[in-house]
Amino acid sequence: MKAVGQSIPLLDARARVDGSLPYILNLTLPGMLYGKVLRSIHPHARLARIDTTAAARATGVRAVVTGQELANDKRFNHLYGIGHNDQPILAVDKVRYVGEAIALVAAETSEQAEAALDLIEVGYESLPSIDNELEAIAPGAPVVHDGVNLNIIRHFKLRHGDIEAAFAASDHVIEELYSSPAAQQVTLEPHVTLAQFTDGQLTVHTASQSPYGVRRVLAEIFNLSPEQVRVIVGPLGGGYGAKGHVRLEPLAAVLAWKTNGRPVKITATRADEFVIVTKHAASMRIKSGIMDDGTITAREVTSWWNTGAYADAGYMLTKGGLLRSIGPYRIPVVSADAYQVYTNRPPAAAFRGAMAAQGEWTFESHMDSLAHAISMDPRELRRRNLLQDGDAWATGEMMHDVHYEECLDEVLRLLDREPQAEPARGPIRRGRGMAVMMKNSQSPSRSEARVTLQNNGQATVFTSSVEMGQGAHTAMAQIAADQLGLPVEAVQVVGPDTDKTPFDQVTSGSRTTFMMGNAVRLAAQAVANEMRQLGSRHFEVKPEEVSLADGSLHTPGGQSLDFGALLQWAGLPAIEMLREFKTESSLDENSQGVACSHWHQGAGACEIEVDIETGKLAVTRFAGASWAGKVVNPAHARSQDQGNIIYGLGPTLFEEMIFDGGQVINANLADYLIPSIRDVPPVLMTSCLESKSPDSEMYGIGEMTLPCVAPAVANALFDALGVRIHSMPLTAERILSAIREKENELKLGKEKNSP
Amino acid sequence: MTVLEYLEPATLTEAVSLLGGNRDTAKVLAGGSALVLLMKQKLIHPSTLISLEHINETRGISTDTVGRLHIGAMTTLTQVACDEQVRLGWPLLAEACAAAGNARLRNQATLGGNCAEADYASDPPAALVALDASIRIIGPEGSRLLELAQFFLGFYTTALAADEILTEIIIPALPLKTSSVYIKYQSRSAIDRPCVGVAAVLAAEGGVCSLAQIAVGAVCDVPQRFPNLEKELIGQRLTQEVATGFAGVYAAALESPLDDLRGSSSYRREMTRVHIKRALYSLAGLESDS
Repeated sequence: MKAVGQSIPLLDARARVDGSLPYILNLTLPGMLYGKVLRSIHPHARLARIDTTAAARATGVRAVVTGQELANDKRFNHLYGIGHNDQPILAVDKVRYVGEAIALVAAETSEQAEAALDLIEVGYESLPSIDNELEAIAPGAPVVHDGVNLNIIRHFKLRHGDIEAAFAASDHVIEELYSSPAAQQVTLEPHVTLAQFTDGQLTVHTASQSPYGVRRVLAEIFNLSPEQVRVIVGPLGGGYGAKGHVRLEPLAAVLAWKTNGRPVKITATRADEFVIVTKHAASMRIKSGIMDDGTITAREVTSWWNTGAYADAGYMLTKGGLLRSIGPYRIPVVSADAYQVYTNRPPAAAFRGAMAAQGEWTFESHMDSLAHAISMDPRELRRRNLLQDGDAWATGEMMHDVHYEECLDEVLRLLDREPQAEPARGPIRRGRGMAVMMKNSQSPSRSEARVTLQNNGQATVFTSSVEMGQGAHTAMAQIAADQLGLPVEAVQVVGPDTDKTPFDQVTSGSRTTFMMGNAVRLAAQAVANEMRQLGSRHFEVKPEEVSLADGSLHTPGGQSLDFGALLQWAGLPAIEMLREFKTESSLDENSQGVACSHWHQGAGACEIEVDIETGKLAVTRFAGASWAGKVVNPAHARSQDQGNIIYGLGPTLFEEMIFDGGQVINANLADYLIPSIRDVPPVLMTSCLESKSPDSEMYGIGEMTLPCVAPAVANALFDALGVRIHSMPLTAERILSAIREKENELKLGKEKNSP
Repeated sequence: MTVLEYLEPATLTEAVSLLGGNRDTAKVLAGGSALVLLMKQKLIHPSTLISLEHINETRGISTDTVGRLHIGAMTTLTQVACDEQVRLGWPLLAEACAAAGNARLRNQATLGGNCAEADYASDPPAALVALDASIRIIGPEGSRLLELAQFFLGFYTTALAADEILTEIIIPALPLKTSSVYIKYQSRSAIDRPCVGVAAVLAAEGGVCSLAQIAVGAVCDVPQRFPNLEKELIGQRLTQEVATGFAGVYAAALESPLDDLRGSSSYRREMTRVHIKRALYSLAGLESDS
């Protein structure tokens, strides 16, 4: 029986439950010091003075570092970034957000390091600060980085046809503004890094989704060759994009560089987590032309991404933001602009369903506004405009393997399959809504895998894909097992460790099953081919006559030999193969060309109940679908689809980082709430759709049911009450205000009409 | 967080004497669910902690000869919520204790600690105030009784002096045939603190209201109760109009409701109105009118 398609338990399931999983959080090394970070209390200020004298003399302190020291040291590249090097490891002359690292202390105990932080004196000269992305681009706004005009650090555009002419020829033109706030990824395990310098080599143990990305940035900072930096990543207690890029690693490494070989560990507190990285707050203006028959003729989208004080991952992600703000529709004329905007906030990066959640919120809410404007059923409007195989999209590329409508049909089928709820009573009103999900996959993209078959009959997959509870390693074992003709139990997965496991771009964006899955498949296939060659010599048959199953080679004549015995016969300790899988993209400056090798597809539909006296909304039923091509592990795929919906409900209903004077005022999990088990919809249904072809690609499904949650819920609210909310989250108070506003409008309307 | 001394007295007398000797630097530790959080957030810096863990006098639930309920300060919220006497005689308190925080917190947090913390956004205080609860306090001068409504002075501020310990909560018996309800309205997640918590006790004879005790928590710095307004319900037949009118007047009487992440001031006033109305409707068996 093939392993792919089976609900094999997570390889580390038992260890995750019994607490024996070796999280970096629990790692200690001999002689280890504890690092602490002094963070700015001002959103924007000149650093007039930093005095670390008392801290350096404090009990147990072994190292103190300031930004000035690093900036003066020519051995360092003090500025780093992800595509744009604008961020100092430690602030030098100025701080740009509350929480920015100013100084570091390493001490024998965590308490001593903490106490020493209190002894550092910092003189701030406050500067005007800017918090909101729309205010930041207004002329005269405070400038976060000298020379960056209107705080716009990067601009991506898409031009496809004559937009003004298309609007002029449309029966209706509808324009709306949507916004969504900064939010926290909230991994259960915080950011944590342990760094050590030995003989000019830097070793870093870190909770990261990007071992090779961390290695590249650290090598640049310390002027080392990549091979002089070793990055070891343990199993993660959640990632969600928060650990997708370099975070605490430069800080721990700088401290380790000053401690004569002693390792230094920095563990983020929950309050730190809120200033280390956030979801991009975003504002979007969307304008569509539509005909009376429901044909969408043109769309213009402008998005402003609040990236915080440093370009960080937003420098690359804003391109995704552009492509993820348009929608899976056949629109002949499209114009889009995405601006990455500096503000005095913590840096923003990926948040599960990166940059798609903000775009989906906009264009899928907007779809229902269009439907309302022409009095058409929202389902029918989507059906008329959803992409089909062979359609051209806004980039001009021909779309293939298109399943948006299939996903939408599936979620509506699931919702309709449930018995009708009792009629709503008292102040409760009920409504239904839907949304379709589209996200470009990361392209260009590259993954390598090495597969070894040992002469004990066991195989090992060496991969730099990160296991963070999503089941990546289990999936890789399943894929390798089938290629090798081994039971899954005979396949071990090792990594990530940049000294042992080959290159992988990053574990994010639902790319691992497809990218690493194909690399593992190719490497395992190459090993299997070698085994067939050996088998053909041993059995004196043609290689293609040798089959691999149950850990043995078999011939049509009924001969068989187990793998270990064959390798021993051949005098080989093992067979090992490395393979690479890569994808390309080719977009020009107007984003015309091919955006990616394949597109993520999904849909969501829900039923909600809203209390018209309080505005409180409850999602009573939610159905989500993702397009998988071929499902590797049905149980894990279902968990992902369900988890995404639950995770997506937070920012939909109540998750929001609240800033006051640049400071996050709800930086703890009592004031910043995430969904609890009691917030999960009583009826939660998911479907992971597969191709009819057995040779279908295996696509990642790590995010597909998340971005549709907010617009589906908002559309259900509109269905229930006729009120349209343009800002996430859909808080009770926001909904109640909208209800009252509508009541007042109706009253005014009546008064006007009365004689 | 540097605690130099952790003391575990065996009697209240011993505890009071230890506290008297360290009144500027010591804190009394009950369940610790609030105190340790405040210490972690560096809002308080006690160098001595005096644990009440081993003092038997502060534990247990009992009734006295006049039918009053006595709850030892160290009784956990779970114990209160599950206690048969409480559930039969003072179900409002059991409901409010069961609504607080989550199971892990309720197993650790104590009712005495809950009162002494005086967190505006907690569930039990409103129920206790609606039930006319008093508390016993012991100090160097001996013990004193204080109405809970007089005990809460403001945000996290009580009438408890630095050398005093809250030892028990005393609740008078309710007349027969009263009914009560605690409505915890959460504006965000299902594990959030209340945006508004309405605790209502009502008795009616022949459809006419004979007793009304209504307190609202989480809406201002301390639980709110308006005995003058309650009086106006007495002798009235509880109709939709009366209940709705009362809720409106009650909500209007609130002096500057709080403005925080769970709701603005005007939203809180409106939620007070809606939930007092719902509490009265539910106790009077009235149909919803929306």
